[in-house]
Amino acid sequence: MATKIIKRKELGFWDRTYLPAVGLGLWITSRHFFRNMAVHALHLFGFAKNLRGAETYQYPEEQRPLSKRTRTRHRLTKREDGSPRCVACMMCETVCPARCINIVAKENPDPNIEKMPASFDLDLGMCVYCGYCVEVCPEDAIRMDTRILDIAAYSREGMKLDMQKLLNP
Amino acid sequence: MFTEFLIKAGLALFILGNALNFAGLLTWVERKQSAVMQDRIGANRARIEFGSKWLSPVNWILGPLNALGIFHALADAIKMFAKEDFMPRGADRFLHTLAPAISVVFALAAFAVVPFGDVWHVGGRLVNLQVSGLNAGILFVFAMMSLGVYGVILAGFSSNNNYALLGGMRAASQMLSYEITMGLAVMGVVLCAGTLDLQGIVRSQSALWGFATQPLAFLLFMTAALAETKRVPFDLPEGESEIIGYFVEYSGMKFGMFFLTDLVETVLVACLVTTFFFGGWQVPYLLPDGFHFPWGAAVALPHTAVIVLGVTAFFLKVICFNWLFMAIRWTLPRFRYDQLMDLGWKILFPASLVNTIVTSVIVVMKG
Amino acid sequence: MANITIDGKPYAVKDGITVIQAIDEAKIDLPRYCYHPGLSIAGNCRICQVEVEKLPRSVIACNTRVAEGMVIHTKSPKARESQQAVLEFLLANHPLDCPVCDQAGECKLQDYYMEVGLYDPKFDDRKVKKTKKAFPIGPTIMLDQERCILCSRCVRFGDEITRTHDFGIFNRGDRSEIDVCPGKELDNKYSGNVADICPVGALTDRDFRFKMRVWYLGSQKSVCPGCSRGCNIEIHYEKSRPYHLKKERVMRLKPRENQAVNRWWICDAGRYGYKSIDHGRLVEGPLVGAQMNRAGTRPAPTWTSVLENLAGIFKKADPAAWAVFASPRHTNEELYLVKRIFLDHLKWGQVAFHAPGQEGDEDDFLIRKDKNPNSTGASRILRLGKPDEDITPILEKARRGGLEGLLVFGHDLAGIAGPQTLETVRQKVKTLVFEGPNDNPTAAVADIVLPAASYAEKEGTFTNFEGRVQRIRKAFEPVSGSLATWDWLLNLSGLLGMSLKHRGPEDIFEALAGENEFFKGLNYKKIGDQGCLLNS
Repeated sequence: MATKIIKRKELGFWDRTYLPAVGLGLWITSRHFFRNMAVHALHLFGFAKNLRGAETYQYPEEQRPLSKRTRTRHRLTKREDGSPRCVACMMCETVCPARCINIVAKENPDPNIEKMPASFDLDLGMCVYCGYCVEVCPEDAIRMDTRILDIAAYSREGMKLDMQKLLNP
Repeated sequence: MFTEFLIKAGLALFILGNALNFAGLLTWVERKQSAVMQDRIGANRARIEFGSKWLSPVNWILGPLNALGIFHALADAIKMFAKEDFMPRGADRFLHTLAPAISVVFALAAFAVVPFGDVWHVGGRLVNLQVSGLNAGILFVFAMMSLGVYGVILAGFSSNNNYALLGGMRAASQMLSYEITMGLAVMGVVLCAGTLDLQGIVRSQSALWGFATQPLAFLLFMTAALAETKRVPFDLPEGESEIIGYFVEYSGMKFGMFFLTDLVETVLVACLVTTFFFGGWQVPYLLPDGFHFPWGAAVALPHTAVIVLGVTAFFLKVICFNWLFMAIRWTLPRFRYDQLMDLGWKILFPASLVNTIVTSVIVVMKG
Repeated sequence: MANITIDGKPYAVKDGITVIQAIDEAKIDLPRYCYHPGLSIAGNCRICQVEVEKLPRSVIACNTRVAEGMVIHTKSPKARESQQAVLEFLLANHPLDCPVCDQAGECKLQDYYMEVGLYDPKFDDRKVKKTKKAFPIGPTIMLDQERCILCSRCVRFGDEITRTHDFGIFNRGDRSEIDVCPGKELDNKYSGNVADICPVGALTDRDFRFKMRVWYLGSQKSVCPGCSRGCNIEIHYEKSRPYHLKKERVMRLKPRENQAVNRWWICDAGRYGYKSIDHGRLVEGPLVGAQMNRAGTRPAPTWTSVLENLAGIFKKADPAAWAVFASPRHTNEELYLVKRIFLDHLKWGQVAFHAPGQEGDEDDFLIRKDKNPNSTGASRILRLGKPDEDITPILEKARRGGLEGLLVFGHDLAGIAGPQTLETVRQKVKTLVFEGPNDNPTAAVADIVLPAASYAEKEGTFTNFEGRVQRIRKAFEPVSGSLATWDWLLNLSGLLGMSLKHRGPEDIFEALAGENEFFKGLNYKKIGDQGCLLNS
């Protein structure tokens, strides 16, 4: 294997005194400080509302704007009659790297659909939110667009979603 | 005699109160300033609110304070007091308790010689706005700051913890190394002023402030003094989360006292820099009878107003330096230990020595 | 011999075989749908196009005979282009319902589309709708006409193998559809095979329907224990999704090609006979005591304690008052251990294995009357005289109170001699020991019940009716509480003070081969996947 030796840059005199770097650092931080303080002061008097003085979102009260493509909690889409679009092809179960999906198939009374899930269990405690299930679904039956992010439960069982919960997020 | 005592007690209370208030507020400033510097909002969830309708006016006053997160300092204090006061097995009980007290007491004692105003003519008395007008004030300050090392090394030694001991050792060597630079840097100022009395030093800067006559000494002193406070970028003795410092075995209010010492020392260093290099209570163009601007204009002011302006100016300068120190603390990364020692011994110490020699030569030549 | 060249390599093949046979012998992969080595040549799918030099057009490999000096290309641009064009036609009316199709994953259309698919199709027309979708045409098979590519394998199977003439192709042109003949139902004894030979998802197995996607299946080579034919099978069990269907491990059985035994086929009884592996098993561990602790009142005894108990009983037992009913469902190895322990060491005179009146149906193709997989082996190993093999005299003796103890391997006495006899035997015999994988009336009344591993859970060999020794292999661990018969017999021999130092079935078989002239010279390596005939 070819080895490439990268020489560490020698420090010059001014670098060794640290002064220019210290000055530059202080310049950057103080610039932010005064700029933000000015914006905060303007906000106090009701001006410059379009400028943000801080990047912070006050989380529980204020939701962060999510990108359209953000992957959030899963849902199963429905047909017009309310039954799941899912045909239990197990593509998502197969592709899932976390193995969090467990489908049991059954016969659909309509021979043109043929197959439907008897149960569709998804363990959010194991899910890694990779979105492969959505990508692989040939029927557009599973989506990750509920915008539900605050998923919490007191037990592992509580993290498991069955078909009803997935159909009605 | 008794009146004299009362006046001194009043002055002492004033400066102590201010120092401690500044230190307490610095915990809030630390949070908020760092937040603003980093485009954040900062802590604002500790709040005091009254449910009763009758107390709603109080809520109206508390509202903005809540929003600013001021009460986090209070919450901090409550937390410190409420925490378990832990004493490790095999620790020296007496020294373990004494160490934080030593730290904080000597840091506060140094304020005794800091002049925060001119001599005030009131009620036929001359009140020097300085707790103790020692003619060897600088020596006192350095004595107190040096004694602070005891607190640190005792804390490390008495904890019966190798990491704490090593931290204490690091702290001792760092503080000793930088004290030399600090002392030598101030020598330049002393040579210019011709006195060791701090009030005298301030008075000597009426025409030109110290940082103009002694720019190098100002930089050296500020760097060395920051190292003395043991805060980032010189926080090798503490390094709470990574390298474990001398107070690793402290908790509760004993830890709080070390924490307070840091902040008190920050205030003290701000006071000293103001006093030595930024004219203490001096206001530009303000003479004892009012403003005399170089373009000829003049504003006459009563004596008390001049004094009040001076005191205000002093504290404003202190606040500015506190801001600067906070900015430095939240800007620079920590030094490595070899870098720290190199900086102290190979750069700051020779530089301060040169500064002293050059200054003495100039002072002698000027006669 | 004909010297030909396939894909640049020279081969010498037999005269008169077809090109596709030569290609198969050369182990070169060539797409095919209608061609099946067990059926006549139809040549109607036309996917097996190869280029033969000096011929103007590409030809189908399945219906072209090899000739001296033939130079064949299976992957040349010309051959590829022809294959691609054919596949495009085959897919013209094929629906895109792979997600719901059980064949997906083992579908030849999918496989060959990957290889020779026209990824940018030119067809823009509507697909022709066929009538029957998800339509059961018999107890075992589901028909989906849309998916059919009209290869006619199933038609030829019905005409040539079962001779029941079930299927036909109806209508013409692109409205052609496969169907069973009007008024008929697909219910012959080999109907399951059409799902195997169907290269697409048109005929699928109703039993396996929607149970599991095929890519989750693990596979193990074995032998069907359903009759003395010993058809070669593959056990398909679930392995990738341990939580998927918790109680069921075996998903289906598939026939495995063995020209000497079953060729490519298997009867339905064998194909669906796997249910006993996961159902009706004795799973509570060994049980002891008259009514035993089936309700779970007492802590279950361990195998060690039960075997020590048994060894104690056997040591003290009077050889004349004890009898063993060995099982023709056991492997050769286990029967050999039975012989060593009970005949040679304990010197019990009364050992038999043949239960009368258990014969079933028979035909001239695969199904045999004797429903036990190893009767030949039992007879060769235990070396009893023909009349002594029968358990009836011993059972009669037990009924009259002439026996102290009876060790039953797998037999259901109630089924053989009636519940009345079982009750009498139960009352007259002091100690009744039952060993077997599944629960039955005899197990319910036995004093000691030893749960055994099923044939899918152990290694061993069966000897079929014509003396062919074939291996069964372990697909998965025995269900909780059960042990393979050879395993606990070895333990028991140790407790009885015998010095059998076998490490496992292979070792035992070698000992058997060293002792028994029928098995002389045989070993697992020789038996291989296709089995080996006994010395006569």
